[in-house]
Amino acid sequence: MATPDTVNTDVPVLTENEQLAQINSDYTERYGFHDAENYLYKAPKGLTPELVAKISEFKSEPQWMRDFRIKALEHFLARPMPTWGSPMLAEVDFDDIHYFVRASERAERSWDDVPEDVKKTFDRLGIPEAERKFLSGVGAQYESEVVYHQVREDLEKQGVIFKDMDSGLREHEDLVREYFATIIPPNDNKLAALNSAVWSGGSFVYVPPGVHVEMPLQAYFRINTESMGQFERTLIIADEGSYVHYVEGCTAPTYSSSSLHSAVVELIAKPGARIRYTTVQNWSTNVFNLVTKRAVAQEDATVEWVDCNLGSKLTMKYPSVYLLGERAHGEILSIAFAGKDQHQDAGGKIIHAAPNTTSNIFAKSISKDGGRGSYRGLLEIAKGAHGARSKVVCDALLLDEDSRSDTYPTIRISEDDVNVGHEATVSKVGDDQLFYLMSHGISEEEASKLIVNGFIEPITKELPMEYAVEMNRLIELQMEGSIG
Amino acid sequence: MPQVIEVCPVTELAPGEKRLVEWEDLEIGVFNCAGTVYAIEDRCSHDDGPLVEGEFDQQTCTVECPRHGSLFDLRTGQPKTLPAYVPVDTYNVIIENDTIKLEVE
Repeated sequence: MATPDTVNTDVPVLTENEQLAQINSDYTERYGFHDAENYLYKAPKGLTPELVAKISEFKSEPQWMRDFRIKALEHFLARPMPTWGSPMLAEVDFDDIHYFVRASERAERSWDDVPEDVKKTFDRLGIPEAERKFLSGVGAQYESEVVYHQVREDLEKQGVIFKDMDSGLREHEDLVREYFATIIPPNDNKLAALNSAVWSGGSFVYVPPGVHVEMPLQAYFRINTESMGQFERTLIIADEGSYVHYVEGCTAPTYSSSSLHSAVVELIAKPGARIRYTTVQNWSTNVFNLVTKRAVAQEDATVEWVDCNLGSKLTMKYPSVYLLGERAHGEILSIAFAGKDQHQDAGGKIIHAAPNTTSNIFAKSISKDGGRGSYRGLLEIAKGAHGARSKVVCDALLLDEDSRSDTYPTIRISEDDVNVGHEATVSKVGDDQLFYLMSHGISEEEASKLIVNGFIEPITKELPMEYAVEMNRLIELQMEGSIG
Repeated sequence: MPQVIEVCPVTELAPGEKRLVEWEDLEIGVFNCAGTVYAIEDRCSHDDGPLVEGEFDQQTCTVECPRHGSLFDLRTGQPKTLPAYVPVDTYNVIIENDTIKLEVE
């Protein structure tokens, strides 16, 4: 792959078929492989009250959680599938999914204790290496459950809790019960109800007052089997004046049948705390990614979502921040790349519910080869949130005539003394920009890459360096041969 | 000016029971939480959901909005879970001559 340092302007122009063939050309090799299935338990396809009870029983959960799951299942069954968002939603077949697969006995604290096949997979994905180099802790989820979990000893000594959610419930039941599902109740929407019924894995994080976790905590979610449903549940509580950066990544093998990933993520930033939550979503293109993510920021707190969506067949995800305390700040940086047969319906929501709160939403989408990128967002300023300031910018870049971009912004303002800005642009690569760059001796393909890199740079610069490099690599890969 | 309206005899709203009261343009949910009666505006502050149709837990003195699941404290009208974040109105309940009455305006 050419990089700016090694530009080869003699690269022959590829035919359209060759160009299409190159898209995600190394996904299979890097991420799309799968292991043999040496599972301890694999539920048959389909969702029943018996299975929900069985999941709870497997995990030896307290009665209140079992009741919570059963009630959530009733909500899920009672609610119709949403009809907004994407026509692809109608393709989700809830009867054709394995809802629970157990690959190992427990979340191990040493990679040596993780089943060999599974360990090899995470080695291949570079997780243990990343852990050694620049992370404070790692959780690795394989199918339904976390198989490895570790946090640096010095953080544990400071009282930082970083567990898989199942262990979090077992070991910190009171704390979990106090906050669990208070940000996203089970009846919030159909997919949140589904997750609440069958949730498994995910992370539980608690950062004590004043503690700054300098290096990120990372979770990696891996689907291996065909027609899999992965439903992790994450709850992060940053106590007063604390700071934590949580990073998640995900991949899956490419199959002809569909898989479903439906997570629920709840963040609570107490007064003066700051949470940054970064996602690099790179599911294979047979995965429906339907996720509910929501945060509250109390007085003087900050919550930042950095949300990068590259993979999946359909993503519907709108991370939100409720600014509940005075001077709280919310930030949503969203980037979506929609290629062939993909629909990225992404964006974010900010609710200003207190005075002098501030927020930014920066959303960028790139569509190519008939892909569809949608920005869907909400900015709400409640009565009494005087002095609120917000800026929403959503930009879309179309790389060819077949691709599509839509913008669905909603702004509700119930207060007079506020400052709100909204900008939206849709541009098509080519024309003036390409001409300008090519007049400086740069090939058309390289010029396109430069334009795309410049387009997403405001967001990739917010990623930790290692992820920014990976993100740029992935984008370049997606861009390979995309001129036309 | 506040006005007092009659709801029903105390015997008609046993612990764990609830009912909807309409007065002019107001809709009010009246709930008997283990012997104490509370009254709140019957309109979720998030998306106008009819609270009186939601699941009522008299032990925790809460009602869950049937539309998106926000849980409201019947004593204060405060939401205990998102997506609602604004409290709903509460009304004074008066028990007089074995009758439940509400103070409205």
